[in-house]
Amino acid sequence: MSLRDFVLGGQWVFLTYFVGINLGYLMQNIIAAYGIRKYLQTSEQYEAENVFSALDIPISLVVPAYNESSSIITSVKAMLQLEYPQFELIVVNDGSSDDTLQKLIDEFGMQEFPEAYRARVESKPVKSIYRSTRISNLRVVDKVNGGSKADASNAGINVCRYPLVCVVDADSVLQPDSLRRVVRPFLEDPTTVAVGGTVRIANGCTVRQGFLEKVGLPTNFLALVQVVEYLRAFLFGRMGWSPINGLLIISGAFGLFHKETLVEAGGYNPKAVGEDMELVLRLHRLMKEKRKPYRITFVPDPVCWTDAPENYRDLKGQRVRWQNGLGQAFALNRSLLTNPRGGTVTWVAIPFYVVFELLGPIIEVAGYAFILLCGVMGWLSWPEAGIFLGLAIGLGVLLSTSAIMLEELSFHMYPKFSQLALLYLIAIVENFGFRQLTAIWRFQGLVRWLRGREHKWQTITRSTSLADEAD
Amino acid sequence: MEWLFRSNFDPLTNAALWSIAAVLLTTIVLFAYTVGLRIATNSAIRNRQRFLSVWRDIFAGALLGNGIPDEQPLPPIRRGDWIELLEEWNRVRSVVDGRAVDNLIRLAKRTGIPPIAEKLFESRRVRARILAVQTIGHLRLSEFWEELRALVDHDNTAISITAAAALVDIDPGAGVNIVVPKINSRRDWPRNRVSVILQHADSACISEPLYRAIRTEESSGQTYLLQFARLMESEILDALVDELIRGSPDPRVVTASLKLVSGFKGVPRIAALTQHDEWYVRMQAAKVLGRVGQQEHLSLLESLLDDPQWWVRYRAGQAISSLPFLGPNQLRAIRDRQTDPYAIDILQQCFAEVGLA
Repeated sequence: MSLRDFVLGGQWVFLTYFVGINLGYLMQNIIAAYGIRKYLQTSEQYEAENVFSALDIPISLVVPAYNESSSIITSVKAMLQLEYPQFELIVVNDGSSDDTLQKLIDEFGMQEFPEAYRARVESKPVKSIYRSTRISNLRVVDKVNGGSKADASNAGINVCRYPLVCVVDADSVLQPDSLRRVVRPFLEDPTTVAVGGTVRIANGCTVRQGFLEKVGLPTNFLALVQVVEYLRAFLFGRMGWSPINGLLIISGAFGLFHKETLVEAGGYNPKAVGEDMELVLRLHRLMKEKRKPYRITFVPDPVCWTDAPENYRDLKGQRVRWQNGLGQAFALNRSLLTNPRGGTVTWVAIPFYVVFELLGPIIEVAGYAFILLCGVMGWLSWPEAGIFLGLAIGLGVLLSTSAIMLEELSFHMYPKFSQLALLYLIAIVENFGFRQLTAIWRFQGLVRWLRGREHKWQTITRSTSLADEAD
Repeated sequence: MEWLFRSNFDPLTNAALWSIAAVLLTTIVLFAYTVGLRIATNSAIRNRQRFLSVWRDIFAGALLGNGIPDEQPLPPIRRGDWIELLEEWNRVRSVVDGRAVDNLIRLAKRTGIPPIAEKLFESRRVRARILAVQTIGHLRLSEFWEELRALVDHDNTAISITAAAALVDIDPGAGVNIVVPKINSRRDWPRNRVSVILQHADSACISEPLYRAIRTEESSGQTYLLQFARLMESEILDALVDELIRGSPDPRVVTASLKLVSGFKGVPRIAALTQHDEWYVRMQAAKVLGRVGQQEHLSLLESLLDDPQWWVRYRAGQAISSLPFLGPNQLRAIRDRQTDPYAIDILQQCFAEVGLA
């Protein structure tokens, strides 16, 4: 192969990738816009007539907690006030080394209770189960540290009594009506097995008594960029897949599952790095293998607010872990990749994820290196390179603009004009440096997956708003 | 920038240039649309707050005593405010009863709500149509009876269930006769919403059509309709439950019927069901025996304490701990004589639940 062939071949690989990924995102955008419009119309209809005003599927809320001493009381108090007719709250203390358990015992009058524990899904041994003497729907499971959120969640699932299970991060801030909103797909379609809700960034918001009091934008640049990223990821990333039943991820921060299907699938995989995605892939695999009709759905309502990393170290750790988890989830469910009856999941969603999300960082990082090499060697035609760079940035900005428009069209959580202006500014700025950096971190995550590193509970430094609240 | 306008780029680069122009234009259009949307939303919110601040007081006045006097002038209603007015009126109307309903209907007629509802009834917009149907029901406009009756079969869940509610609002007796036979075929109707609609009619109205519907349905329909059977008169319900427990070959119908047992009728038959092949029947039978069981049923319940199904063991344990003729010492004696570890575990849990260590 001559040098010219190498350069030309490289150009075509990158161009094909570039066209493919942007066409994919464009399609997702169109499907998401249609899906959100339809969702809002039916929401309006249901609200106009209060069709779902009285709900009748009780929910078990499982909150895995590891060293959450500083915030657990506020979180539990807030969750106990959620607007839903019937739910129970199960906090799973995963062998915390701090005083998480003692705080719960003191605050809610928890008493050890001889509950007949059924180990239906795998988890490390349960030491004790506590019941609140004051709050009838609160229980605490104290277990041996399993080293992962998945293991703790499984112990919680084993003591659930209700037909739907919602697994929530202990440091998540939930909308008071989050359960009411996220349960809707189960009421509309009985074949629904899992529902994900939109997660938004809590940094910059005012949180009081565990509830979101005022929506705001963070002042920290990294958190600000993640606000736009989350808008893209949830409003068209997930919403684009949901109407065609091709949703592959339900955020670990907030997901609602049909308990018996979850148990049948074996619960969360304690060895999985990205236990949330791995579970959704396994549910797809199980339902396809059993040839049962099913839906895995996403609701675009913002139901959960979570703390985003505000420093490079935490952000890098998160992105590396996500990419590692993505690779592992596909490897663990590889039979789904070739299932002839896999439908949209096997033939559309997974190929897109594998090419553009899993292997994407390789192409992107190689692309940067290629441009650099061509520039250094004098092989680059600067005007042409500038045009393609402009197009890449323009498409990036367009996708963010579209996500901001979808947000405005649907939920308009950021009501000030200054907030809108800031979001647009970030949509432009993030293309210079941030995107390249995340591509490199994702590449590192991919390498880590190939090397087979293990995963443990990850803690991030809290943003000011939530840390104050916790104190 | 001269290089940008040269004409000797290759076709690919030219395509990229045109794409940039298209992307830029689309971005600007989306941006302008978003800003326009923001301005319109803010303005709508302000209008709504202004409108509601005036009308909420008027509606509150209509709920008291004889309502708003006819001579009291009402504020003018702008064209864009009608939907807000109808929504608010319906919201208030749906939570009141008695004299306040008459006051609200009188107020609606003064403000001109009925012709607006009639106009919206013809709308092609689903939300407007739902609002119209709801308003017609709340206003008890019987002249729309046939149109509403046809809408009960509409494909759209929200429209059809709103029409069903409107029929029951207008004439409870005739309304339930139309709605009840449809319930089984309209599984898309949320069950609690159906219950709320049926509750608007009294149990004397509901009993007969519901009894007839349950008797004539297949097993799956019977199971589904039994969820609403509590709304029937108690004598009719007891007779129906007894009949189904004795006669139905379907374990799901039997289970649904067991959930409705309220008296001591048919206890021997219920006791026999503790040995049923299906675990959910055994579980439900154990639960019923906890309420209506006698001394002779204790051994049956004890035999369920080592059942392979956790729920059967749990309900049997709960049933034993709730039997009224057993005191704490007798309960402890029952626990002490168990040899099966599952039975001991479950009794410990159930006794702890009732505060018996």
